[in-house]
Amino acid sequence: MLTRRGAFALALVLAAFAAPASAQNFTKQVTIIVPYAPGGTSDIIARVVGPELSKAIGQPVIVENKPSSSGNIGADFVAKSAPDGHTLLITDAGTLATQPNLVKKLSFDVQKDLVPITLVMFSPYLFAVHPSVPVSTLQELIAYDKANPGKLNVGTSGVGSIQHLTALVIAKKYGLKWGIVPYRGGAAAIRAVVSNESNVIFNGALATQPFVVQNQLKGIAVSGEKRLPAVANLPTFKELDMPIVDTGSWQGFLTSKDTPPAMTARLNAELRKILAQPEIVKKMAELGGEVRTSTPDEFANWLNKAINDWGAVVKAENIQIDG
Amino acid sequence: MTLRINVPDLAFAAFLVALGAFAFALSAQLSVGNAAAMGPGYVPRGLAILVMIYGLGLGLRALFSGEAAFPTVELRPLLLIMGAVALFALLLPVAGLAITSFAIVVCAGFASYDVRLRENALAALVLAAGAVLLFVTALGLPIPIWPG
Amino acid sequence: MDLFTNLATGFAVALTPANLGFCFLGALIGTLVGVLPGIAPITTIAILLPFTFTLPPASSLIMLAGIFYGAQYGGSTTAILVNVPGESSSIITCLDGHQMAKQGRAGPALAIAAIASFFAGTVATVVIATASAPMAALALKFNAPEYFSLMVLGLTGAVVLAHGAPEKAVAMVLIGLLLGLVGIDVNSGAPRMTMDFAGLGDGIGFVPIAIGMFGIAELAVTLGKPQDRKLLAFDWRELWPSKAELRQCTPAMVRGTALGCLLGVLPGGGAALSSFAAYAVEKKSATDPRRFGKGAIEGVAAPEAANNAGAQASFIPLLTLGIPGNAIMALMVGALMIQGIQPGPQVMTSQPQLFWGVIASMWLGNLMLIVLNLPLIGLWVSLLRVPYRLMFPAIVLFCCIGTYSAGNTVFDIWVMLIFSLLGVFFTKVGAEPAPFILGFVLGPLMEENFRRAMYISRGDPLVFVQRPISAVLLALAAILLVILILPVVRKKRDEVFQE
Repeated sequence: MLTRRGAFALALVLAAFAAPASAQNFTKQVTIIVPYAPGGTSDIIARVVGPELSKAIGQPVIVENKPSSSGNIGADFVAKSAPDGHTLLITDAGTLATQPNLVKKLSFDVQKDLVPITLVMFSPYLFAVHPSVPVSTLQELIAYDKANPGKLNVGTSGVGSIQHLTALVIAKKYGLKWGIVPYRGGAAAIRAVVSNESNVIFNGALATQPFVVQNQLKGIAVSGEKRLPAVANLPTFKELDMPIVDTGSWQGFLTSKDTPPAMTARLNAELRKILAQPEIVKKMAELGGEVRTSTPDEFANWLNKAINDWGAVVKAENIQIDG
Repeated sequence: MTLRINVPDLAFAAFLVALGAFAFALSAQLSVGNAAAMGPGYVPRGLAILVMIYGLGLGLRALFSGEAAFPTVELRPLLLIMGAVALFALLLPVAGLAITSFAIVVCAGFASYDVRLRENALAALVLAAGAVLLFVTALGLPIPIWPG
Repeated sequence: MDLFTNLATGFAVALTPANLGFCFLGALIGTLVGVLPGIAPITTIAILLPFTFTLPPASSLIMLAGIFYGAQYGGSTTAILVNVPGESSSIITCLDGHQMAKQGRAGPALAIAAIASFFAGTVATVVIATASAPMAALALKFNAPEYFSLMVLGLTGAVVLAHGAPEKAVAMVLIGLLLGLVGIDVNSGAPRMTMDFAGLGDGIGFVPIAIGMFGIAELAVTLGKPQDRKLLAFDWRELWPSKAELRQCTPAMVRGTALGCLLGVLPGGGAALSSFAAYAVEKKSATDPRRFGKGAIEGVAAPEAANNAGAQASFIPLLTLGIPGNAIMALMVGALMIQGIQPGPQVMTSQPQLFWGVIASMWLGNLMLIVLNLPLIGLWVSLLRVPYRLMFPAIVLFCCIGTYSAGNTVFDIWVMLIFSLLGVFFTKVGAEPAPFILGFVLGPLMEENFRRAMYISRGDPLVFVQRPISAVLLALAAILLVILILPVVRKKRDEVFQE
């Protein structure tokens, strides 16, 4: 009896060591679905976090791309995968906040079919113009647009992207007549504005600021409430009293609905631990954003607010996508 | 002008007309817009019409451009190779890479008239193992190896 | 001499044993990946990305770049041996390269591909080292109207590609353009002609089309001809191109390299266009254009040179402006950023060791590739001795896996099946697939830039002739069209007279 009880106690102790975070264990390989082609921010985050997650949970973690322009195919795949926390989605504001407002026939519901795990990072936008545009402040830009209606064109990363919606909201607030030109992604939009094909841009601050520092673009402002060290002379949207102060791009991890809350909690704990490592924080900063993690509930609230806010913009501007 | 039908040309022309009509039907719902702000339907519909007209022109010419019969199509290799591709699409999600590879190599092997049963099975075994090692183990592609 | 000190800095970085090792490793992996149809270098680079985090930035970029141009080499091997193009640039290599292989001349075809690539790589390295700043400035002169006009010129040239009836080639270009429009429209976000298939949202995949129309369709057609059983026979004595052939190819390589360097700088369609353009130029300038499509060795040398020069020139916008020209370059930007290097116009001055190290390693990588590939030619060619009945099921399998891996979905396999059947149909009716593919690749870019130019000019079509570069490109297209139409008209007239 004693020996048996002893063995039982030993087993308990071992079990406690084996699963320190919670009783939720990973039984097989975990797949992180990136709903874009390799090379984007979401893809690189997945590939940075993947190996660390594998160390933490003791199972292999693989990254799988299911590319589509708005991320819907990959998100749909995760929404319909087994609710066991072994298939994760990493994607951005485009898939999570603007697509649900723009595409009527979406095959899944972001709020109902996916469970948020945690936010990953947030990058403010840098608002800049081509150097040939003779303005250096918001007021000058508004005056220039009044005097030369139709001369300005905003290059954006795509139709219905946050960049596109931001340009619309700002145009409405100040009565601007600028055109909006969609490109295939942020890098193509930067190229277009550097080559003066379009001449205004709102794009992730870190990717854009080298062009401002090298005078290939002229900075006007940065979104958010904090000035950025590399371009400290530029005022923030908040200082300028501009609309949608906290516009920008962000990424988050989600998984399939009906995943047991304990599993989501374990994933949240592991991912936040990884994202708190100084090494990872530094890498994210180099990718253009600050690490911003959250509890699943906080992320759910963030998602609901983002979907509602951008939904209001879509409705107010009457943006429609056929089909 | 006597009727001398060039069948391959006529078949190609018919294909063009059918494809153009199909594309036109598919893009009928899209808005066309105007030159300054073209809608998504502007270019597809224009091209679809162009393809149809072009096909009609080629078809008309094929009626008089000299007799030519449609070349023979060997059905066995065509069906078995296309069958192997279809088998891959059907089997991979349920059976994994190992079994799928074996099955499609066996299937495709029969496309050749000088197939040898035992040799083919052996090749299928070797290729299945090689594919798993090369693509999944060495290259790390996310493909399931076994069912489930 | 600034250039010499810069190159010395570069070679000092690239010639360290570790970096030589990474360069070799990258070239080797790239060659392997390139040989496998459909497995894109971008997939491999993405998978290897986490392993490079621990390396110094120069080493990691040297290795990733090695994979990129190694894959260009490997891709032509598969194109020549089994007519399976893995990417748009190797489609052209299929045209004459596979014909050479069928005539038992796979060795010379592979050798000339390697030599042309090495030559182009060497020249392109010098061009990057000396002229990247002005070339990047030129690339920035290209706006939407210029892109549109360039595509018009490219498509006019596509008709030259066909060695059959030009009127069928025109039809193939048109349907290529039409099918290229399938998918979500960039300008409006509307899905077009997708029949509600989610898998068509981003358009019909390039890999399933190319592998289906060329690789699988070719198999189905060849197996139907019993007399071709001894196909791909070869002669051991003829592993190497003759002196006369090398002489014949030299001007082709020079022209191909020049085109590749120029067009490769342009993002998007530039690199794809360069191999097509090089082939068209050779065919038009040849004394006997009828040889093309039947195993003309210049038809392999010129596009291979253009392709490799273009691949290397595509680094120029990345290195000098920090703007990635294609998806692979975007991934390189990611790799750099993770290393703490913000790509951008400042890299050349703030990271001279990295900048010049990578440039020096490009040449070393090309050297390694030729050292690696020339002895491999014997191996590849002897692979053809495997009985065809064992070889082709393996090709079918590798094509399927490659197509699947491009998007991790079996949807693409069905697409490949449909285009294989279409490929057989096109072969039977005497329509060639190459012009179709060019139309398919360039169609969406052409429409996108056309609509963008019209939008920015607020509906004024004169924008295409008011901008000088665009006007020149359109004029060239018009001249080419006249040159193309005249012989057809003359022939028709002759026929009328004969009757």
